[in-house]
Amino acid sequence: MTGAERKMKPWLKRILVGGLVLLLIGGIAIWYIFNEKFEDTSKEPSAYTVSAMDFIKEFEKNDTLANKKYAEKIIIINGRVSEMEAADTTINIKMIDTTTDAYIIFAFQQQHRKAAKQLKEGDTVSIKGSCSGGAYSEILETEFITFKRCVLNK
Amino acid sequence: MKKSIILFALLGLVTVSIAQKKKTTTSATINFDATTPLDKLPKAENKTVVASLNTKTGEVAFESIIKSFSFGNPKMQEHFNAPNWMDSEKFPKATFKGKITNVSAVNFKADGTYSATVTGDLTMHGVTKPVSTTASIVVKGKAISTTTDFTAKLADFGVNGPAIGAGKVATDPKISVIADFN
Repeated sequence: MTGAERKMKPWLKRILVGGLVLLLIGGIAIWYIFNEKFEDTSKEPSAYTVSAMDFIKEFEKNDTLANKKYAEKIIIINGRVSEMEAADTTINIKMIDTTTDAYIIFAFQQQHRKAAKQLKEGDTVSIKGSCSGGAYSEILETEFITFKRCVLNK
Repeated sequence: MKKSIILFALLGLVTVSIAQKKKTTTSATINFDATTPLDKLPKAENKTVVASLNTKTGEVAFESIIKSFSFGNPKMQEHFNAPNWMDSEKFPKATFKGKITNVSAVNFKADGTYSATVTGDLTMHGVTKPVSTTASIVVKGKAISTTTDFTAKLADFGVNGPAIGAGKVATDPKISVIADFN
């Protein structure tokens, strides 16, 4: 076999180089997707700003519609802290509609838990977080709406 | 007439007494760990679980909104809620209803650590299966802290995503539950 015959054909070389580039791009994309972390909620744009009592009433009226509108979206809720409840090693904040006992509960993002602990019952606050949706609690016999990755909205 | 009034009054007292023994929290925590040697990402926590414990009858109950499980990785959270995993649009809640079978061995009025056996029905992904586990109950004054760890076979609950077959998600994820009642 001569040296010229051993030399790679240009079209084959192009396919191999193209394939390698695609593999590299794919690898970077997969690495990025699986190493991505949720951004700090304080930096995320919000879809809605609602008062706590209006928000609760919307879920009580029709939680199927309310879930479609709000679930998995970043929402800002303005209201008064009704309760601070221990959640393992941290604190959750609750806003309760005392006429029906329906409530919103906010679980805070790791880096914002210290700030949440500084709140007191009765404080007027604005909380931004990812709405997980609402449902009727068979245990409590009332509507409950949960939030995750929350931050105090400044 | 007099007898029925007394009977109703007694019935009312019993009902009130049992109701007073029911303790609830809206901040119980469930940690879900389906990591494998191939993938460390399927791991989540839910800190907004509703739980109840009746210290008289031993009845326990939990309910959780599936979308409340918070993952570190956005793609993993999306997969968890997707139709071939938990399908949280169709099955938005998971519940457990059960009983402490040895409730008489737990003195809720005396400080101490007690071992309890809990059996009941776990419903998730629209499927109900019996579950039995041991729980640790710590009584300190009026506070009652309960913790339990168990595994749930995903296939038993009709969860058979391709990632499970590929070894990227544990077939029997570890579930730990922490509930503090005051």
